[in-house]
Amino acid sequence: MPDLGTLLRVIDYSKCMGCETCEVVCEFLHEQGPYIRLYELWGGVKRPISCFHCSKAPCIEACPTGAMRRDSQGAVYVELSRCIGCMACLYACPFGIPELSEVTKTSVKCDLCRSLRSGGLTPACVAMCPSRAIVLGPPRAVGDEVKRRALARVVQLGESG
Amino acid sequence: MRFAFMCRERPGASHHRVAVVGAGPAGLSATGYLVCRGFEVDVYEKLPIPGGMMTFAIPRHRIPLDSVMEGVEELRDKFGVKFFTSTKVVCGERRDEGDDLAASSADLLKLVEDYDAVLIATGTWRSRRLGIPGDDAKNVVSALEFLLDLHREELGLGSGHLRGFKRVVVIGGGLSAIDAAEESLLNGASEVHLVYRRTIREAPAGEYEVRRLIRLGVNWVELAAPQSIVVENGVARGAVFQRMKLGEPDETGRPRPIPIPGSEFEIEADLVVSAIGEIPTPPIASECGGLGKYVGRDGRILADRSLRVSGTNVFAAGDVVTGPSRIGQAVRQGLQAAREVDRALSLKVLVAR
Repeated sequence: MPDLGTLLRVIDYSKCMGCETCEVVCEFLHEQGPYIRLYELWGGVKRPISCFHCSKAPCIEACPTGAMRRDSQGAVYVELSRCIGCMACLYACPFGIPELSEVTKTSVKCDLCRSLRSGGLTPACVAMCPSRAIVLGPPRAVGDEVKRRALARVVQLGESG
Repeated sequence: MRFAFMCRERPGASHHRVAVVGAGPAGLSATGYLVCRGFEVDVYEKLPIPGGMMTFAIPRHRIPLDSVMEGVEELRDKFGVKFFTSTKVVCGERRDEGDDLAASSADLLKLVEDYDAVLIATGTWRSRRLGIPGDDAKNVVSALEFLLDLHREELGLGSGHLRGFKRVVVIGGGLSAIDAAEESLLNGASEVHLVYRRTIREAPAGEYEVRRLIRLGVNWVELAAPQSIVVENGVARGAVFQRMKLGEPDETGRPRPIPIPGSEFEIEADLVVSAIGEIPTPPIASECGGLGKYVGRDGRILADRSLRVSGTNVFAAGDVVTGPSRIGQAVRQGLQAAREVDRALSLKVLVAR
């Protein structure tokens, strides 16, 4: 995989409308997926959650076989051939992200679409979100975009400027 | 939206040609899949701009226009997809909402003959009617008609005659009702009533969305069903509602609203918007060479498990198969149907017509 620098993915919940497109395209690509899932919060509101690809990922620390790894772009992924399915990663994860696949008998999780990225493509959830609610890029650029959006919500300019 | 999210460019061109009818989320997702599998795809769309409900009905604050357009332009410019816009595909005669924006028509059976496969994704462009006295007054419109009118004006496609009403009453409890009520407020209405026959707990849009609109200033009226429209000289001046109470669960599992006799009341309005559901609009309006029997009584296309109309080279996906749903479900069906088209054409198991 070409080293394109670290990637950060942030879900902008102020833009998300709960349409399920991210979950659908993820499930279409990944047989053991989806690795981004919507859950109902309250009153019919559904929102997605997926791996945060933590910079100091506890799942990598907890993995006894070295199966939980980080690729050159910062995505945390499971090397299936090394995983024993002990789910120590799930215990370590503050967000309950890793899942046990009954098919592969391993931990499975979002890898930011490694196969698409290796071909120079964008993770499917990011590419297909109608609301542009999933922001991906170098941390600096993602931070700028998210702050720009927050600013636009706080400072609402009228049409006359 | 990168509808061709699975590839960077179209792989070595296939000699198979596919027609996609309807450029909403299902049709465009299917197109993205098919071009990544090398197919030559022509997209037929009755409206002048692709995107379906995403372009013409859903409020912009939910989906920015350029999010849809950049995906459409990529399909067109990079993947060679031909878009035949303002072209209504139909077999037989039918009129649906938005049809006045179509400039020409194409015969579905001709497409079935000309292409190796046809994928129908025409959505739900017809609204349920209130079916009460006075509902034919000119300022009684469906949510779809209302939202379409605001969107087409914004897109420079004329009309906008439904903008600027001061007192609006919206009837219904789904997302169309929410969107119509919110757009009314955003367009300067001073008084917006949202009336639903059950309670906030049963509203299909969900309690959160209803409460959000109440915070924005919408007057939520629950347990009330429309009885008649008050009409003077062909113009609606308001609507009469009857109070309801909840009874035993009906066939949908929700408590049945039961009218309370003598509880009628009136809400004055300059515009009445009915948002009581949209129904599928397949491009099949007659016997249509045997296709007619695959349209259900509710208008849905009765496709088989592989989203194919049995024994034909016609496939179907999205709301025209499922009835109104969320964008994600339309995308799912579009991708699934496209994969089935791919399988069918790759295996050359198409039944000769």
